[in-house]
Amino acid sequence: MAAKYDLTQRIAPQLDRHLVFPLLEFLQERGMYPDEELLKAKIELLNHTNMVDYAMDIHKSLYRTEDVPQEMMERRAEVVGRLKALEEGAAPLIAFLQNPNAVQELRADKQQNLQILKERYQIGPEQIEALYQYAKFQFECGNYSGAADYLYQYRALSTNSERSLSALWGKLAAEILMQNWGDALEELNRVKDIIDSKNFSSPLNQVQSRIWLMHWSLFIFFNHDNGRTQIIELFNQDKYLNAIQTNAPHLLRYLAIAFIVNKRKRPQFKDFIKVIQQEQYSNEDPITQFLACVYVNYDFDGAQKKMKECEEAILNDPFLGKRNEEGNYTTVPLRDEFLENARLFIFETYCRIHQRIDMSVLAEKLNLNYEEAERWIVNLIRTSNFEAKIDSENGTILMEPNHTNVYEQLIDHTKALSGRTYKLVSQILDQAQAQPAR
Amino acid sequence: MASRFWTQGGDSDTEEESDYDEEVENAPVEVTAATAASKYISGNASDSDDSEGQKRVVRRVKDKRFDEMSATVDQMKNAMKINDWVSLQESFEKINKQLGKVMRVTESDRAPNLYIKALVTLEDFLNQALANKEAKKKMSSSNAKALNSMKQKLKKNNKLYEELINQCREKPELFEEKVEDEQEQEDEDDDEDEDDDFDEEPRNQESEESEDEEESERDGTESGPGWEKMLSKKDKMMDKQFKDPSQITWDIVNKKFKEIVAARGKKGTGRIELVEQLTFLTRVAKTPAQKLEILFSVVSAQFDVNTSLSGHMPINVWKQCVRNLLTILDILTKYPNIVVDDMVEPDENETQKGADFSGTIRIWGNLVAFLERVDVEFFKSLQVIDPHTREYVERLRDEPIFSVLAQNIQEYLERVGDYKGASKVALKRVELIYYKPQEVYVAMKKLAEQDNGGREAESGEETKTAEENRGPPAFLVTPELVPRKPTFPENSRTLMDILVSLIYKYGDERTKARAMLCDIYHHAILDEFSTSRDLLLMSHLQDSIQHMDISTQILFNRAMAQLGLCSFRVGLVTEAHNCLSELYSAGRVRELLAQGVSQSRYHEKTPEQERLERRRQMPYHMHINLELLEAVHLICAMLLEVPNMAANIHDAKRKVISKNFRRLLEMSERQTFTGPPENVRDHVMAATRALKQGDSEKAFDVIKSLDVWRLLRNKDNVLEMLKVKIKEEALRTYLFTYSSSYDSLSLDHLSKIFDLSEAQTHSTVSKMMINEELHASWDQPTRCIVFHDLEHTRLQALAFQLTEKLTVLAETNERAIEARIGGGGLEGLPLRRKDGQDYAAVAGGGGRWQDFSFSQGRQGSSGGRTGYKALGGGGGYTRDRPVRSGGYQGSRHQDGPGRAYPTSSTARGGQMDGSTRMVNLNRGVRA
Repeated sequence: MAAKYDLTQRIAPQLDRHLVFPLLEFLQERGMYPDEELLKAKIELLNHTNMVDYAMDIHKSLYRTEDVPQEMMERRAEVVGRLKALEEGAAPLIAFLQNPNAVQELRADKQQNLQILKERYQIGPEQIEALYQYAKFQFECGNYSGAADYLYQYRALSTNSERSLSALWGKLAAEILMQNWGDALEELNRVKDIIDSKNFSSPLNQVQSRIWLMHWSLFIFFNHDNGRTQIIELFNQDKYLNAIQTNAPHLLRYLAIAFIVNKRKRPQFKDFIKVIQQEQYSNEDPITQFLACVYVNYDFDGAQKKMKECEEAILNDPFLGKRNEEGNYTTVPLRDEFLENARLFIFETYCRIHQRIDMSVLAEKLNLNYEEAERWIVNLIRTSNFEAKIDSENGTILMEPNHTNVYEQLIDHTKALSGRTYKLVSQILDQAQAQPAR
Repeated sequence: MASRFWTQGGDSDTEEESDYDEEVENAPVEVTAATAASKYISGNASDSDDSEGQKRVVRRVKDKRFDEMSATVDQMKNAMKINDWVSLQESFEKINKQLGKVMRVTESDRAPNLYIKALVTLEDFLNQALANKEAKKKMSSSNAKALNSMKQKLKKNNKLYEELINQCREKPELFEEKVEDEQEQEDEDDDEDEDDDFDEEPRNQESEESEDEEESERDGTESGPGWEKMLSKKDKMMDKQFKDPSQITWDIVNKKFKEIVAARGKKGTGRIELVEQLTFLTRVAKTPAQKLEILFSVVSAQFDVNTSLSGHMPINVWKQCVRNLLTILDILTKYPNIVVDDMVEPDENETQKGADFSGTIRIWGNLVAFLERVDVEFFKSLQVIDPHTREYVERLRDEPIFSVLAQNIQEYLERVGDYKGASKVALKRVELIYYKPQEVYVAMKKLAEQDNGGREAESGEETKTAEENRGPPAFLVTPELVPRKPTFPENSRTLMDILVSLIYKYGDERTKARAMLCDIYHHAILDEFSTSRDLLLMSHLQDSIQHMDISTQILFNRAMAQLGLCSFRVGLVTEAHNCLSELYSAGRVRELLAQGVSQSRYHEKTPEQERLERRRQMPYHMHINLELLEAVHLICAMLLEVPNMAANIHDAKRKVISKNFRRLLEMSERQTFTGPPENVRDHVMAATRALKQGDSEKAFDVIKSLDVWRLLRNKDNVLEMLKVKIKEEALRTYLFTYSSSYDSLSLDHLSKIFDLSEAQTHSTVSKMMINEELHASWDQPTRCIVFHDLEHTRLQALAFQLTEKLTVLAETNERAIEARIGGGGLEGLPLRRKDGQDYAAVAGGGGRWQDFSFSQGRQGSSGGRTGYKALGGGGGYTRDRPVRSGGYQGSRHQDGPGRAYPTSSTARGGQMDGSTRMVNLNRGVRA
């Protein structure tokens, strides 16, 4: 049941190897899958990185032995050897970069910088290239902060745009892994700008890059303070939404959550509902299904059921189910927010089509008891402009019909006309005056 | 008859004989077509001929020909005297025909002097006639016409003999008596009459054909198996040449081959004969390359057997042709060093290199073109054969043969690395299966597996025995290397996926577009609506289809129709209606789907157009059932239109969803007496009447009684779906119509009336409330709908209409001003336009599919980042999916403002757009 809504398997292929680790850690914590499988998966993952020591540890805990397979040992030696070689290659440049006086000589103009480097320090393109390789290797080894620094410097020197882009991706990954959300967000925007720039090689590549970007960004958005607004801004752009619909419909979950917990994005929300309607057939996510129940089918009982499933899904999602531990108890802030807002959604829609509602029914629909429901509604009536009254004798809520007067409607329709006509006339007059002058 | 006397004689005699006879028989035919004057003259001519024939003077053929010719010249002279251009024209044609014969007989390459002289006189006379303006005016219209056409023909004709004519003008005496000597010169016959006036061409051919026929007929009656004899004569001649197998060298074969090929297309070389001769040569070919070369010629000669555009190749020839192609493939498989190419002209003696030669040998040829031609012929034969006969079924059974050939060629091309060609061949295979539902596919697979083997062997033996009887056994036996049986995967979808992904990868624009349409069609057949819709929208075919050729447009229309049917089966009424309404908007469904010719009341088609249209027709087995299509379309229209009409009683004209349906409804309402429904249309109209009253049961019963439903595979599900839909719409109609009469309505009551579950009723009513179609709200404790008395009075409704019109007026004014003084101050419009432009720019960049291979994306791949090169199916389309705005149906269907796939939001203007979007088949011709 819990695993049913797990998206890890669909998300993982779109991430960097190193980025999958946090996900696996989370899964291990939740205990949704047998530990053994997860550990195997980790080793599998590590086999292609240079974090051999870590792999060895996992291997030991997995098979409960002290022996390490021969190949791992060999690989370790190889990695160390290569690291040395690369370090040597990049040494002159690194030495240069560690000298603050020297670095200050660098200017904004790349060509000039290269000139200076070449003339004074005998650092040519090979060394710069070596820096890139070294940074990459560092990243592979799990030394993210080092990699991030080197990649940053590499970008300042490199003239190869393709390499710069990969350096940028690398930097982004490193920042995410170091959990520097602010910096990561900056990098993210940089990558995004490059992807959106028109001269991208092929549309196919572009889509793929967008999808990667969106997956990577999940780490940032659900950890950054302002992330929930920004995720809507990013994902709900047409280009990105198209990419989601084409290739990664599972991402709709995150967008849906963002919309639900974000009260201010109403106009876009309507359009988003349409997207959900279209993708219903290809997506079985409780959260989007919940929205479909409330806004497409007006099936409130169904929505209520879905709400429970949603809760489950959120708790088991590595991005959404982030915990806050305060003293003894853990809260999952996003879950609480979601439930609150979802309740509001149901209630709002429900009220729109009813004029009298039984409180007890409503309480049931909202997964609250009678008193709670009453308090909740009273709060709503007080704080927002929700026009309703509680009839406590009968235990019902009465909606105030808010139909606009016919005459008002008519006036509304015609109000703008006079202004427009006036404008038109003034335009004509301007034109007429301008002509004799000519 | 005289012929008996000569039948057993030499080759030339029989020919002459038949010609002579034909003269007599043809004369009356000509007479009917010609004027009275010519009747007299030509009658005379044949008379004199006849009398000559009766004398039975044994003369040389040559002399006879010359006599004929001179007789014609005399006729011409007579005609000149009386200034009769009509008969003169006829005689001229006749003499041209005779010229061919004379030259064949004399085997000389230059025209006889007699002919040249006649030309000279004719030219002089013509010039004279043209100079005399007075006389020209006096001529009758037919005479003048003949004169003019004569002028052109003569000019063209004389160009060929310019030199001789000049000579003749200079030294007329040279041309008087030298006739005999010159004729003795023996040479390869070379016919110059070929470049005759174009108009004359078909007529000549016709007469030639009839001549052939007569010949064969006569021979058949006179001398038993005369037909074979005629052919074997040539064979005999060849046998003489190739009497001793050991003496045959490459050179001899090559020379003979060149000779035969040179005779191709000439008059007098029977096409079938040519094929026979070449086939004989393939058996004596010395090297595989040579055999290949000759086989290529055989195949193209076989294509020549049928010359007319509308007719098709005889079926047995077709089969032989396929067999030959398979042999070609055998050779190519056995000798991979032989390269087939149609770009470079190979060396003269390239084919001399023997089987043991290891370098590459280039042979001229184009397998893809051959295959396409074979396909065209197959298609044409199915078009022509009456679909209700046994013959048609027999012909359909040849499909596996073709499919095996295509499969083999594709494999070969892939092996060679010609993926472009392979993709073309793959398209042919796709076009063979795309319209087949799984059942039919399985049937074909079975047929191919059991039946084909037996038939093939049988026919193979047949030809083998025939071959053994004739001529020596082949020198070069090519083992059958290529499989003679097609292999089909279990599932038609699998096959489609394989082929289609190959095409998406390597094909050119047109191939890809066609493959995409077939893919869409096939998905639609398999009830995969969403996939097929996505494909259609992603490929942006709707925008580009107008620029494609007509047959692709037809395919597009077919795919749209199938998509409509599919969405109906799935239960998406609005989508189904959107797909189909365009097809029906102009009332030319048959024409749009190429399933028969529809008459148009307003536009007479020229014969040319009709012929073109007939050539485009789909063979019967590929048809989409029109009755089903119409039923689906009308039912969808009904489901949408009836509640819509009920909702807008005040101004019924404003929101029209289906014009076509409205028109039909009006027509049926005008009838004073409505009988029981007979056709599809009547049924739907009867259902509509019931539905309007909210009587869902009756409406459903009427619809159910249609017998087209048996064509659906999952009939019960569809009908069940339909029943629910009808009930829902009945509920909606009921609420629209009678809501003003109620203050409240209970949910139980409603769901009882319409036999719907409470949840369904609740959901339907809630939707209406949210969309503000119904001014009411639920009273939850009592489970009632409480209606707000918000219905506008008539006056109010009219006032609203007035304001709307005012708005329109103001907008029009603004636009007019803007057009005049050029923008400024009107934010709304320019902004929108800018959007559109931007959009178009992106569409230009994206919207192409070369880079994405769909099936790969679908099959997906797992693994690290590296595995993702091909994934991400929708490369093209993501960039330019439209602005998500408006439209009840959702943005996916809305390809920008007022474009493509209509949405309900464009319903007002959409109708007009629709007609421009649906492919107009005749536009090219009319324009």
